[in-house]
Amino acid sequence: MAEYDLTKRIMPYLDRHLSLPLLVHLSDTNLFAAQDVQIAQYELAKATNMPDYAANLFSQIYPDQEVPAEFAQKRQNTMLTHQRLQDEAQAVLDVIENPDVAQALRQDKEQNLQYLKDNYNLTLDQIAALYHFGQFQYSYGNYSGAADYLYHFRVLSTDNDLNTSAQWGKLASDILSGKWDAALQELDTLRESIDSRSLPGPALNQLHSRTWVLHWSLFVYFNHPAGRTLLLETFLSPVYLNTIQTSCPWILRYLAAAAILSRAPPPGATPRVRNALREIIKVIQMEEYQYQDPVTAFLKELYVEFDFEAAQLQLGRAEQVLGDDFFLGEFSADFLDNARYLISEAYCRTHQKIDIRDLSERLNLSPDEGEKWIVNLIRESRMGADAKIDLDKNVIEIFRPAVPVYQTVIDKTRGLHLRTSGLGQAISRLGMGAQQGQAEAPAAAPAVAVR
Amino acid sequence: MSRFFRNAGDSDSSESSDGEEELLSSDDEAPVAKPAAPAAKMNMDRFLKGGDSSSDSDSSDSDDSDDSDGEDGNEEEPQQAIRIMSAQEKRLVEMEATGKVMENALKINDWVAISNEFDKLVRMIQRQHNVSEPIPPFYVRTLISLESSVNNALAKEKEAKKKTNATNAKALTAMKQKVKKSVKEYEVDVNKFNADPEAFEREYIALVVREAPAAPAPRAAVPGAGADDEDQNGEFSTVIKGGKSMQFSAEGILKNLQAVQEARGKKNTDRAEQIRILEKLLEVAVTSYQRIRVLLALVSSRFDYNSSVATHMPIELWLSAQREVDQLVAIVAANPTYAIQEITEDYDELKERFPEDPEEKDGIVRIRGSIISFVDRLDDEFTKSLQNIDPHGTEYIDRLKDEKVLYCTICRAQAFYENTNQDEPLGRVIMRRLEHIYSKPDAVVQALESAVEASDIKPSMRLASQGTTSGLIHALCVYLYKSGNSLLRTRAMLSHIYHHALHNDFHTARDMLLMSHLQESIHSADVATQILYNRTVVQLGLCAFRCGLIKEAQATLLDIFTTQRVKELLAQGVHQQRFQVLTPEQEKAEKQRQLPFHMHINTELLEAAFLVCSMLVEIPLLASIDSDELKRKAISKPFRRLLDFADRQVFTGPPESTRDHIMQASKALQDGEWEQCRDLIQSIKIWSLMPEAAAVKEMLAKRIQEQGLRTYLFTYAPHYSTLSLSLLSRTFSLPLRAVTSIVSKMIWNEELSASLDQSGGVVVFHRIELSRAQQLAQTIADKVGAMLEQNEKALDIKMGGTGGWGDRADGNKGEKRGEQTQERRGRGERTRGTRGGARGRGARFAQGLGNEMPSRTG
Repeated sequence: MAEYDLTKRIMPYLDRHLSLPLLVHLSDTNLFAAQDVQIAQYELAKATNMPDYAANLFSQIYPDQEVPAEFAQKRQNTMLTHQRLQDEAQAVLDVIENPDVAQALRQDKEQNLQYLKDNYNLTLDQIAALYHFGQFQYSYGNYSGAADYLYHFRVLSTDNDLNTSAQWGKLASDILSGKWDAALQELDTLRESIDSRSLPGPALNQLHSRTWVLHWSLFVYFNHPAGRTLLLETFLSPVYLNTIQTSCPWILRYLAAAAILSRAPPPGATPRVRNALREIIKVIQMEEYQYQDPVTAFLKELYVEFDFEAAQLQLGRAEQVLGDDFFLGEFSADFLDNARYLISEAYCRTHQKIDIRDLSERLNLSPDEGEKWIVNLIRESRMGADAKIDLDKNVIEIFRPAVPVYQTVIDKTRGLHLRTSGLGQAISRLGMGAQQGQAEAPAAAPAVAVR
Repeated sequence: MSRFFRNAGDSDSSESSDGEEELLSSDDEAPVAKPAAPAAKMNMDRFLKGGDSSSDSDSSDSDDSDDSDGEDGNEEEPQQAIRIMSAQEKRLVEMEATGKVMENALKINDWVAISNEFDKLVRMIQRQHNVSEPIPPFYVRTLISLESSVNNALAKEKEAKKKTNATNAKALTAMKQKVKKSVKEYEVDVNKFNADPEAFEREYIALVVREAPAAPAPRAAVPGAGADDEDQNGEFSTVIKGGKSMQFSAEGILKNLQAVQEARGKKNTDRAEQIRILEKLLEVAVTSYQRIRVLLALVSSRFDYNSSVATHMPIELWLSAQREVDQLVAIVAANPTYAIQEITEDYDELKERFPEDPEEKDGIVRIRGSIISFVDRLDDEFTKSLQNIDPHGTEYIDRLKDEKVLYCTICRAQAFYENTNQDEPLGRVIMRRLEHIYSKPDAVVQALESAVEASDIKPSMRLASQGTTSGLIHALCVYLYKSGNSLLRTRAMLSHIYHHALHNDFHTARDMLLMSHLQESIHSADVATQILYNRTVVQLGLCAFRCGLIKEAQATLLDIFTTQRVKELLAQGVHQQRFQVLTPEQEKAEKQRQLPFHMHINTELLEAAFLVCSMLVEIPLLASIDSDELKRKAISKPFRRLLDFADRQVFTGPPESTRDHIMQASKALQDGEWEQCRDLIQSIKIWSLMPEAAAVKEMLAKRIQEQGLRTYLFTYAPHYSTLSLSLLSRTFSLPLRAVTSIVSKMIWNEELSASLDQSGGVVVFHRIELSRAQQLAQTIADKVGAMLEQNEKALDIKMGGTGGWGDRADGNKGEKRGEQTQERRGRGERTRGTRGGARGRGARFAQGLGNEMPSRTG
């Protein structure tokens, strides 16, 4: 299943530190030779400020070799830099943590800056020390510390570029320290700033930023409890869907998985989430030529080809792929459950008489388990009244009465009222600008005509 | 019979004219004239063989260099005299030769020939006049004799009962006019001659002698030459050589060049002669500077040769121009100290310049000129010649072979500009190169590229270095994308897409087309780019067809077929306007736009592909709807029209044309006879023109099976309550799994109200017969809906299209249409059929071919 592993594709869009957990996960899955993964880990760690970790990895890979001296050297340097940066940052921190100051600070950054400068002689350069120290802490793995400093920096600084950078840093720190709520918040603000930003540069920059956001957000969305729904909400918005199609079609796997996982969306979900599957199937079909894996193939076989056997086959493979995936590993069972549900739903909708044994086979279940599953399904789902199990013949019979004509007529005319009043409002708004009195007459006309 | 008569008359008249000739020619002149004539003939031959061009150039040069004679100094004087005399002499000889021809023509009463010769003679005399030489008595004599013979002939004409040949008669009357005019012009001379021919002759000789003392010598030599061939030969060659060595010395080149350039564009300039002079100059040019200058002038004058816009340049001229451009590029590429620029500081045209000269900036000699415009012109002329040559003849093929050398020239120019880092012309030349290869199959590109490999100057982007044609085109396009010129970028983009489509890379091509956002801006582009856009879209449709993406192919090709002006939109033929006549200018412009034949996309193949796609989409749709109301909504109007027409036919014979085949296949498909349908479609001959025809046919057979099944289910579902899947699978020879899949899909999409019974292996149909009242209720609901829709549309228009209102309406429908239409990648399916689609539909095809606009709006 190594060909379906996405680590290699995802890593270029991740920070060095964010990639480390991915590699650790890889070494657990045994998809690749352990030695290779370790070497990759080592290469990654070498350039960070974590000489101990790198040295440790080195001795694991080459047990018979001496650990290079450069690590000791680096360690020394790191300590020194740390000391220096901490001193610089401490000065600022002292001022900020002063309760007087905290009270005096307001929303307006410019004003704050002026205040700090006047009263405590703090300049912008000194504030930047917070950023540097935060960044440094991040580079040697003290993520929560880094998050703190970067937060303070962002509150104070007016430098846009550094602020953006700090935002990314904060998000990474929050992800790595496992503060999912904070990360989610950070992600939202970051996304807002990217989407709202009308950069003078080419649109390509925005595309790149969005691609990065897509990849980083995977960490958050697959760890936060409400993450899947949010993922659908975000990823299916046109701009991000386009980004996926243009630059990183492999994200489709996560999109598809999330859609399957949130098969029954929580109440109050937006139409986008409710219709997620339909939308995703369209995209999967469209992008089939450039990306395909068992998860997307499952959806395609089920909803495009209606080939239940092939879908079942793909489901088996998807289960494996999911098990090996860093983000989706935990959801494997959940996924399987939901996928089964989707299969049986589609199956029931197209069939009138279903052999229970056959259906159980389709769902990869034993006949007994299958029966239980089906009973549950019937009980849960809307078709409860229409489906009956005939134990004698061991079949389910589904009676789906055709929709009465009157119902269709009602359905067709249901929206008319709303649309008409919309029309009326639009016209009155139009008339408002020109003349108040005249607006009434045309507004009434279509409404009457329709009713 | 008529010939017989004429012959008789001819002999008559020629005899009489002979007699007159005898009478008129005075005794003492006859001996002079008679020996001169054969000598002249021989001389002419010799001239033609060797120094034809130089002798001509001499004569024209003599008038250019007349003023420069004074400055030339003394030591050139004697040679100069000899040269002038020889030229004068030669002219005389020429004139006499013309006279002889006229005499001969007179004998057979061929007035057309006489008229032509006389024109020539008048021109020579005119030239004589320009050099202010006296009129030779020979001319006057001929004039007089002509006058009388014209009169005679006219008189005879009147007497004769039968009319002579129409053209001949016309020429005769024309001659009469001309002679009359000439006689009037030289009235004094003629009178003098009539009075005393001998005195006139003497006077002339005296005049000539006075003008040039050395004149008698060559004059004496000429009659003698008739006897002694060797002698004369030697004499003439020395004259030519003498002239040349003097004329075409390194110093003289620039002077001559200037003279030629001054004469350029003037009315009486003989362009062929100028070219000959320049060719000679090129031979003697020594320094690079001279050669560049001469080449620049020479190439331009070759392009000047053809003054009219409509016709193309003669092919030999084109070939030599091509070689000279090559030469030019080679010289400039080899000598980086010379630069050819369109804008330079003023410099002395007559001065020889060297890079070492301190006056030259940075040691670079800048010369005014433009290689890129030469390359452009060469390419344009090549296209023009292809437009004008009959594409079905061998000449066309022969001409097409020249593309190789042209391509080499373009590549050389590209290499040159690459080395000198001139971005602007480099972009243009790369575009030219791209245009030669983007629509060609790999084999042809390889042939062209192999020629480039053999050349000494090579550009950095080559097939060999890029590996594949796609790689090469990619490299070329990427350069153009990066360059600043937006027109070139657009064209490069379209060519790139075209290339992808040609190589069956549908998805890449489609994505590129959609991401380029060209469909929004193509209307403001120039006509050539619009044509390229149309070609690209059509090729994309064909590509989709080849890949088996029937729906996409149908949607792509639909737009161009609804216009019914396929040929015109692809610039492959002029559209016949039914209600409007094109002005000649429009027609000319239209003609110039036409693509050469070898670039054409076969429209018949295109139509076949489109109609087959339409059939596969439309027939199941037709079967699925049962009310007449819905039938009006056709996906493909052109197809529906044809189908209706075929329906009305009382008798249908065996299919002949492609359309017949497809129409009968459609009928068969409607009846569920998929095998017949398949056979009919596969027997269409035009498929053989499609690459991978066998695979395409197979794909079509498969699609016909599937759509046949769908059509069958739609058509016959009301008549069954259950239908066995295995029967369906047998009838349509599809695997059971495929049948199940298709049926399930139809059920899922609610196209078919049925469900599967797994245990029995049958489809169970749940059809509900609607009562009259129910039907009406449904209809009224639909109509109310439609009315609301209309109201909304009306309001939309009133509000001026996309206001806040439009978004609202979309939002109400619960769809995210508004957002999607704004998507960066408005994918085909999504953009079509939305509200914006009404506007976008026609917009997807660039129709405005200049003159078409008024007719469309009017």
